[in-house]
Amino acid sequence: MQGEAGEHGTAPDWLVRGEPSLCPCGCVGRRQRGSYVEKTVRGLSGALRRALGADDVAAQPGLLQRLDPRIKAASTLALLVAAAFVRNLFVFVALYAAVLAVAGASRVSVRAFVLRVWLFVPLFTGLVVLPATLNVVTHGHVVVPLGTWFGYRLGLTSQGLTAAARIVLRVAVSISLVVLVTLTTRWNDLLGGLRGLFVPKLFVQVLAMAYRYTFHLLDTVDDMYMARKARMVRVDRDTKRARADVAASAGALFAKTHALSEEVHLAMIARGYRGETYTLRVPRITTADVMWLASCLALAAALIGVDRAFH
Amino acid sequence: MRFTERNTDGPQADARDDVVFALEGVSYRYLDRFAALDGVSLSVRRGERLALLGANGCGKSTLLKLLDGLLFAETGSFRAFGNEVTEVSLDDEQFHEAFRSRVGFVFQNSDAQVFSPTVREEIAFGPLHMGMAPADVDTRVDDTLRMLDIADLADRAPYQLSGGQKKRVAIASVLVMNPDVLLFDEPTAALDPRTQDWLVELIEQLGAAGKTIVLATHDLDTLERIADRCCVFDEAHHIVCEGLPSAILRDRALLRNVNLIHDHAHRHGAVVHVHEHGIEHHAQHEEHEHHQHAGAPEDNAPAGRVTTST
Repeated sequence: MQGEAGEHGTAPDWLVRGEPSLCPCGCVGRRQRGSYVEKTVRGLSGALRRALGADDVAAQPGLLQRLDPRIKAASTLALLVAAAFVRNLFVFVALYAAVLAVAGASRVSVRAFVLRVWLFVPLFTGLVVLPATLNVVTHGHVVVPLGTWFGYRLGLTSQGLTAAARIVLRVAVSISLVVLVTLTTRWNDLLGGLRGLFVPKLFVQVLAMAYRYTFHLLDTVDDMYMARKARMVRVDRDTKRARADVAASAGALFAKTHALSEEVHLAMIARGYRGETYTLRVPRITTADVMWLASCLALAAALIGVDRAFH
Repeated sequence: MRFTERNTDGPQADARDDVVFALEGVSYRYLDRFAALDGVSLSVRRGERLALLGANGCGKSTLLKLLDGLLFAETGSFRAFGNEVTEVSLDDEQFHEAFRSRVGFVFQNSDAQVFSPTVREEIAFGPLHMGMAPADVDTRVDDTLRMLDIADLADRAPYQLSGGQKKRVAIASVLVMNPDVLLFDEPTAALDPRTQDWLVELIEQLGAAGKTIVLATHDLDTLERIADRCCVFDEAHHIVCEGLPSAILRDRALLRNVNLIHDHAHRHGAVVHVHEHGIEHHAQHEEHEHHQHAGAPEDNAPAGRVTTST
């Protein structure tokens, strides 16, 4: 195989010699910090994979797991509507307590469930509603004075705090309801539930395929970064080049995705697809399912009724 | 898993319908620039197992897609079951339904073929689109799951399957439609030896059951088991030879010309051992037969030419 460089089918001399730049002594150098690009991409990939692929809770024999996914979707929708209409803080607290009780009965770790919701609600909603608590935005009775700012007395008003608490609780309860359904239902059953709720079949099919190929693309992204890392002899500190690499990888991923989507389309046509979507029958709804839905509808109506009574 | 043996009575009785596919002077280019097929003429007879042989990029996969009416020839004609297959003819609902239900295609990339959220839905996709009643679809899906020994995977998502399992699901999704013709693109590629052997046995059984099978491969070791006839492509995208697998495998000059085998030399001390790569099992089999005919003692030495060298 060895021969003159450039000769067809032969290895050039440099390839069969040891590389002088490689130190054989095993000496230890300065510790390098990992690339932010790699950390970001792999972190996102891992989080997405965990979020989409975790169906261990859905496999538990709990209260919600026994229900038909269509019923779960419909009852959640009813309670979400109730949460959108009520204004009284005590009603919100009662609804949240009911959600936690159902979570417990569905073998969901209540502590993890609460943390999952409350770690993000203050971060995203709390920050948004914070200015509304100040007397400069919401006029009213100042309950927490914050001093004087450019000659103006600042403080938190009771009206502002109540409005902020209402928004935060509404978001927390709504997110909790959705998280509870997604935790206790396998993704495929959830899609079946959407079908049962008269969501267009084409939309559900697109959603299902997007979900299925997300995992394939995550694998591809992981492979691309592994392959890149395996050839990175030295750590590249040039952030401009790192950004260019990310852009190039994104382009390559897009091209791969496009080629795969064409192949998938051909595979669908090969098996008779002509734009119409047909799906398997969804299972029958049981008496327990109907009773659950009726209870949730009654609860939603009661919550709205009590809320109106307070006002 | 067993299929019904093929009906062998009266081979001349249905001579009129004997040709399933007929291609005449077919050419195809990707992006109007890169030739994939150049003037290919070919007939596939009912019940035969035809292997398309050739190196990577010679046009085998393109030909399979043409045979499945997924791509359409730029020049030349393609007839299936006596009817011209074009983009226009496949727009006819009746012909489309008849063609799609009679021809099944197992893609090389199972990830492209297994696109549904669960294995059960994947296998049901074809029958549902053929317009079968839901109850019949359920029965067929269950039968197919059992036949391919994947019943335990029924509710699994594709991302939870191994490569071999995905291949089984892809095959199940095609077999469930009970097509007359099965097209396989590199069926044994990237599979472990056990799954490869399972697949070769399946192709043998499907052939024995009377299915017409066209497969693209460059796996010469299993050729005699999976094919009755071969078409060899060169790298200029032409068919250069047709014949029985045994005759093709004996024609080493042809196989070298189309880059399916090459001579490989390695050294054992002072001895340079030269043998063919790409056809090891067949070469060993020939060597074994040679030893037996010559009355030489049987040994396990690989076939090849042994020359001394300094």
